[in-house]
This record gives sequence, C-alpha cells and structure tokens, in this order.
Amino acid sequence: MTWKEKLGNEVLADLGREIDIFEQQMELRRQGKIDEKVFAETRLRRGIYGQRYDNGQRHDGKRVQKLMLPSTPLKGPDTLWDAPGMMRIKIPFGGVTPEQLETIADLSEEYADGVTHVTTRQDFQFHFVHIDDTPALMRRLAAVGITTREACGNVVRNVTACPLAGVCRDEAFDVTPYAKGCSKFLLGHPDTQDFGRKFKIAFSGCSQHACALVTTHDVGAIAKTKVVDGKEKRGFELYVGGGLGAVPYKAKLFGEFIPEEELLPTAQAISRVFARLGERRNRARARIKFLIANLGIDVFRRLVLEEREKLDYDPRWHGEIARALQYQEIPLKAGTDFNGEKRPEKFDQWYVTNVYRQKQPGYFTAAVTLPLGDVTADQLRTLADIARRFINGTIRTTVEQNFVFRWLSEADLVDFYNAISAIGLGAADAGTIVDVTACPGTDTCKLGIASSRGLSRELRYRLGRKSLELDEAVKGLRIKISGCFNSCGQHHVADIGFYGINRNANGYQVPHFQVVLGGKLKENAGEYGVAVGAVPSKRIPEAVDRITETYVRERLKGESFQDFIARIGKKDIKAMLDDITRIPTHDIDASFYADWGDPREFTLNDLGTGECAGEVVSQAEFTLAASERELFEAQILLDSGALDTAVKTAYSSMLHAAQALVKFQNYEISDDEEKIVAEFTKRFYDTQLFHDKYAGGKFAEYFFKAREFVLGSHAADADGAVRLVHEAQLFIDAAHSCHNRLRSTKTVAQLS
Amino acid sequence: MELQKINVKFFAVEKEAVPLTAFIDVFHGWIQATDGIYHDVADYSHIQSGPGIVLVTHEANVSVDETKGQRGLLYSQKARLEGSNEQKIRHVLDAGLEYCRRLEDEPIFNGKLTFQRDEIEIAINDRLSAPNTDENFLEIKTVVGEVLSNGYGARSLSLDRNGNPSSRLTVRAKIDEPLEISTLRRNLGVEEGIRQRRSGGCNGQL
Repeated sequence: MTWKEKLGNEVLADLGREIDIFEQQMELRRQGKIDEKVFAETRLRRGIYGQRYDNGQRHDGKRVQKLMLPSTPLKGPDTLWDAPGMMRIKIPFGGVTPEQLETIADLSEEYADGVTHVTTRQDFQFHFVHIDDTPALMRRLAAVGITTREACGNVVRNVTACPLAGVCRDEAFDVTPYAKGCSKFLLGHPDTQDFGRKFKIAFSGCSQHACALVTTHDVGAIAKTKVVDGKEKRGFELYVGGGLGAVPYKAKLFGEFIPEEELLPTAQAISRVFARLGERRNRARARIKFLIANLGIDVFRRLVLEEREKLDYDPRWHGEIARALQYQEIPLKAGTDFNGEKRPEKFDQWYVTNVYRQKQPGYFTAAVTLPLGDVTADQLRTLADIARRFINGTIRTTVEQNFVFRWLSEADLVDFYNAISAIGLGAADAGTIVDVTACPGTDTCKLGIASSRGLSRELRYRLGRKSLELDEAVKGLRIKISGCFNSCGQHHVADIGFYGINRNANGYQVPHFQVVLGGKLKENAGEYGVAVGAVPSKRIPEAVDRITETYVRERLKGESFQDFIARIGKKDIKAMLDDITRIPTHDIDASFYADWGDPREFTLNDLGTGECAGEVVSQAEFTLAASERELFEAQILLDSGALDTAVKTAYSSMLHAAQALVKFQNYEISDDEEKIVAEFTKRFYDTQLFHDKYAGGKFAEYFFKAREFVLGSHAADADGAVRLVHEAQLFIDAAHSCHNRLRSTKTVAQLS
Repeated sequence: MELQKINVKFFAVEKEAVPLTAFIDVFHGWIQATDGIYHDVADYSHIQSGPGIVLVTHEANVSVDETKGQRGLLYSQKARLEGSNEQKIRHVLDAGLEYCRRLEDEPIFNGKLTFQRDEIEIAINDRLSAPNTDENFLEIKTVVGEVLSNGYGARSLSLDRNGNPSSRLTVRAKIDEPLEISTLRRNLGVEEGIRQRRSGGCNGQL
C-alpha cells in the first residue's frame, strides 16, 4: 500500500492531482526527459530545496571528500539526486492546528532527522530529506490541509502576518483573513508564475510594533481604518519594494489607504508589472526592489494603477477574503482570572517575558520559545496535546522562530507553564537578548559562510546563564545572525546583528562575523543597522559583552540603543572592538581557525550555488515540460488499455507543446484551444518556423491530424492509439527543437 | 509486513557525565579517517531530550540520541535493505553494536562510556508499512525474539510494546544478562561481506 492509496479522499482532489503531476515529473527527470534546470525550479516550487554538500563533495577539514552516493541523475544543476535536501513547508500567517503539528511531528521522524525547524518567515523546514520521500510527505501534509506549493522558487513565498493579529491591543483590525485570502488568491495564480525572483508579502495590524517587519518586504500591508460617509472603512497602508539581502532596501509607500476590496486586485497588478518589467538575466538585481529603485516609486505606482484598470473583474478578489472573514477564533475556555494557585519558582519571570495580555479581557497569548527555532517530534506532539487542553487549536509560528499559543485563560497560565516546562520549553526569554534568531548557515545552507547556528547556540548559552543579572536595557535588545550577507537571519533589523564572512589571516581562512548595529525592529523594522567591522567568530561573545556593557555604562538617560549607536558613531565603536579583531597565530590558538560547533579547519570550499534565487525558467519551458509529463501519462494510459483517454491525453500534450511555442512569442496566450491552434498555425506553421530541416512540416501535420481525430470523436483502435502517441512524441521533440532555435536566435539578437 | 527503516537504540551508561558536544569532535574524527561514507554531523545539543548529535550517512543516521531523556546510540536505517525481516533486524543490530564498540573504544572517553547490552529498543520508522497495531506487534515480537534468542542464547528475554497508537511500532527488549559486544555480534552472524559493504570497506579500522 502507498500513502496515496491509504489517504484516498483525505487529500483534496486538486492537491492530490498536483502531487501526482510532481511524481510524474520526478520520473521524467530520472529518465532524463526533463532538463535539470527546469526540474530544479519545478521542485523548488514544491518546496524541495537543495542542501549543503548536495554536489557530492565535502571538505573534512583536511581534504575534500567525494561523498558515497548511489549513481543517479541530477535533481538540479550540480545537485545529486540521492543527496539529502531540505523541505520547506509553507504556513500562511503562521497559523497551525494541533492536528497539523502531529502530522509534522510524524513526518520529521520518518523523513527527516526528527527535528522541525521554524524559519524567520513562519515556515517549517525539515533537513536531510531524500527527494524520493517528498511525494508521500506532501500527501500527508495535504491530508491536513497544508501545501508546500511555492514555498521556494521565483514565486510568492509564504505570506506572513503578525502572530498577535486578532488579539493585539494596538491593531486597527485583525489582518489574518486578509493574509489568508491573499495567500490563497496568489497561490498558483497565472500572473505570479513568471517572476525573475522570489516575492514576499507581509501583513501587520499596526505601524508601531515589530511583528510583521513590513518594511523589509516586497509588498507590506499595514491595517488602517478611515471614516467614509460616516462609516468606518477598512484598508491598508501599502508599501512596496522592501527587502533585506546584501544591500537592504526599505519599502516605499505605495498608497496611504488601499481599500480592502482593492487589496487583491492591487497585488495582482503589482505582480503583473513585476513579471513584465522585472530583471531576468542579472539574478542579483532581479527582486522588485531594484525595479522600483530604477523606475522610481511614482512611475511604478502609475504602471500598477494602469495595470489595475486593465484587469478583468475576478470574483475571487472579494470571495477569498469574504471566505476568510467567516472564520473566527473561538476560545476553549472562559477568560477567568488567576485563582490564587501557587506559582512555580520561575513562573513570574516567564510571565514578564513570554506572556501578552490580549485585547479580549481575561485572555492571554503565551510565547513558547524554541532554541534556534528547533523542536522535536515528541515536543510537537505534546504541544498539540497542550493546545487541545488549554486553547481551541489557535497556535501560530513567529518570525522570531517561536510559537505563540493564543486565547489562554489567565486561570490556566500556571498549568500551561508547567506543561511546557515539562518538555523543556518553559524558558523565560521571549523577546529578550537570549532569544537569538539565526538562519541555518553552514549547518545546512549551500551559501553559508560562517556558522550562524553555532554562534547562536553559544550566545544563547552564555547570555542565558547570566540573564537574571543583565541590565534591563540590555535584556530587551535583540540579536539576529545570518550565515552570509543574504540576510535570512534578518541581521539588518536587529539591535545587534551579525553576518558571516571570511577573512584571511596568517595564511589561513578565518571565520568572522560582520557586526551590524542599531537596526530597529519596532515600527515594522523601522531602521536598518550599520556595519561597524568584522570580528573573528570566536570573539563575537566578547564583542557582545563589550557593546552591551558600554551601552549600560555610557548611555544617556532614556537613550535607546539605536540613538546610542548613532551618537557614539562608527569610529568609536570600531575602536572599542579593535583589540578583539586580532587573531593569534595558528600554532598559538588553532581554535580561532575553526567555527562554533565545528572542529574542522575553516574553509570556503563547501560553498555551493544557492537555490534561493531559484532558476529562471520561462513559461514556455514550463509548458513544454508539462506537455512531456502529459505525454508520459498518455503512455501509461496506453499501457493500461485506456485507448480513448490515451489518445485525448496525447493530443492535449501536443496542444500544450504548441501553446509553449506561442507563449515564447506572445505570453498572453490563453488556454483556449481554438486560439492556440490558430496562433500556432499562423506563427509557426504558415511561417515554416516550426519546420524541420529534413521533415518539413510533417510533425506539425501530426498535430493537426490528431486534432481532427479527437474532434471527430472517433474511437481509437490499439494500433491507431499507439501511432498517435508516437506522433505526439515526435511533435513534442520538434517543439523542443523549435524552441531551442528560437531561443538561440533571440539570444544572438539580444547580444547584438 | 515488510520491515524497512529499522531503528535500534542501545542505552548509554556513563561513569562520569560526558558532554553531548564531545561527540561532535569524535564524529568529525571518524569522517576524516574514512572516505566519503559520512556526509555530515548535525548538532542538536541545544534541544532537551532531542536527537543529540547526528552523524549522517546515505544508508543510516547514527546518533547519540537523548529522546525521552535517555541517552543512547541510535542507529536509524534509511537505505533499503534486502532479505528477510529477520536478516534485516540482524543487520541493523549488528551495525548499531559496531558503532557502540567504536564509541566505547574512543580514547577520549577513557572507559567512561559504555552501552547496555541487556536492554535494547527497536522501532520501525514507517507508519505506513508498520503501523503500531496489535497484529504488527505480535509479528515483530516474533522476529525480534528469534533474532535475540540467537544472539543471546539461553538467556531470559522479555519484549514489551509502546502501546501509544501515535508512536511508531516499537519493541523494548530486556535480557537478564548482558553479553560482550563481540560475542553478541558473532552470534548474530552477519556476513562479513555485508559488514564491509555497509561501512565502505573501513569496518573496524577507525
């Protein structure tokens, strides 16, 4: 029995069909019938990501070893099929149920290494996953309502939102339904399939807090209300073109008040402008932030509004949000006060840092902090039980890599604290300097330069030991660490941020972190920090001590950390850290030449090609790949004796191959069969562009003949069906050849 | 029921506490002493009762695991095994014991670390082919019972189940008297050729 058979109707038909298609694409890739680059982007759009060493090589500290892996095809450029990979699981707005947590727990045990990682964008990630396990993994997720579709790749990534949405005392209104509606509307939307780079969206209920980091996003929406004709109207202050990365851009104001009914059409129009005008060839400048910087926000706004005017009405603009608005969180218990129960020793401390009083009287939200964002399968199952015991399944992940449990009755807080403490998750450190955020870095990321998690672990340990003695001003500072300049650890928006770099010293490579100070989380990531200098990785804890001690000692009354950093200036900070930038020689202390938690001598030899940028694959290439997959399906149908269906499927595969070519010349082509045939005939057959040097128009004629046969509703006999499927293969092969010819002609034209 | 993804855990006995992070250096040392067998080391020392330190290979993960608060050597088979269920259990037990021996012999631990041979946990990490049902428990109990009876000879043996239906199919074996690892491995009778293939020809050379 397979998971597909076992789960049967538990998986929604659409999701099941998508996974079937991906399974066929895997088979075609194994057979070498899909190009490795196309397959890489295909799997990325299913959330299946590469992982460090997946090129089959690893430096062991002394030499590069070739890893023992069975000889199989590549699953992407320089990426071995059998090498372990990462699976990203999208959790829109971070909303997750106990049932989903239990499934995630089972999957982490069976397909990964028993650990689930919460990311800085409210996703879950598994590491060390074999690609062959991913269809089963996706089916089991789909059975509990989770899709991994578009978790990676050049698409709309997980739509994030403030984890306090709906319970926050300062929000204009609950943004949850809008985040949910936006996520559903843009998922798989034709206008979001042809981006040159990824696209991130976030929602926040207010301007002043940090929760959604709106200014760091491609599109960020802050809830606003306005009185119109005596009635309160909902809308959004909309920002565009933000992003972290090597050079951070703060999002620019697109509109002060986009009415709620205009949210999705505006998002769609922005997507269309980005797809049409965004950079393709230079990956480093393909995010929308560069497009907006080049055009200027006024021109960009005008283009989007013009695009908006052209859009045909789509009932989903309102339907998706109306559906999402119907869902209301309901508390499990009445919101009653503490009942005088004896409080455990560390409860009060935990209450101060981890508990938030909701706007609804008697209810609280509690943060469950996860060290480095990691949680075990057993912990997840217990958390699911705890959620059922105290709340109505209302759990969310946070961009701080934690969980929040919402709608806790005050009377239950002690029991809740005891329950989470019993599984090691009762630390009183949410939102404090101990609660360090870090991306995976060199642990698993192909782009990682230094060990962000190793450093995070060390800082958590050191700061956690002395957290009670820390000055209050220091306790509230935030540390965020990225393994490289790409900012997945969001170091730009931390009070104290670090990103991994390499420095050469004494003839060796030495892991370092660039120190970035003065970022501001509040006001939705209101300020980005300033790089003040590189410090050897092993001396970062000293740097943290020195910076925080100086702040405590020299700050003016009431001076924020950001103001303090701005006042003392980069030069003084550099001088303050100067002596700890020095490195002893290798023979005096070799530990400086290795990274945290990794005894290997440091090297950059393991750096690979990252997949964050996805692969730029045109819609024409995707459609050609889809036609191959359909033909594969026709062959299976043929083998099973379903002749008529095989013939129709083979014809459909030819139709899609023709559509792919038309898309190459005219992206706007619809799925209308008549139009595809007419355009193909006009653009490729009549012009002889499609013609083969020796066979002439023969292969196109196979297509026309197949169409005639299918439209005539003829019954296929076995020989006829075999012949038609064979001809479909020849037509698709010819379409590939034609596409290659066109592409090389276009490239030559572009170059000249 | 066809058994794959077999996990076996041997519980640790420490005369003096060994920090979990000490195993990071040991595993990296093993990587340097071999050629491409071991792919990576994952450090989960920050998680309470977690997977600890994991040595990743294509065929299995080998970890100093702390799940349920009990430290032990966990051998978690990943690559498909051929043969009967009995042969597969023998293979995995033998592989786990080999790693126990290597760790016990590590000079850095200086005799402080040993692994129990009178209590073993065997789990099937596959809820599809081996759900935790009464029938499956009886089946695996029979197979594990036969393998361990061969391994331990006439010693008395008890086999208990983790009855939680959400748990993986798990058998905990208790034997009234331990055996030396070498004797136990000899009794399990895994062919040398299979051992060599498993460890890429470096068996016992570390």
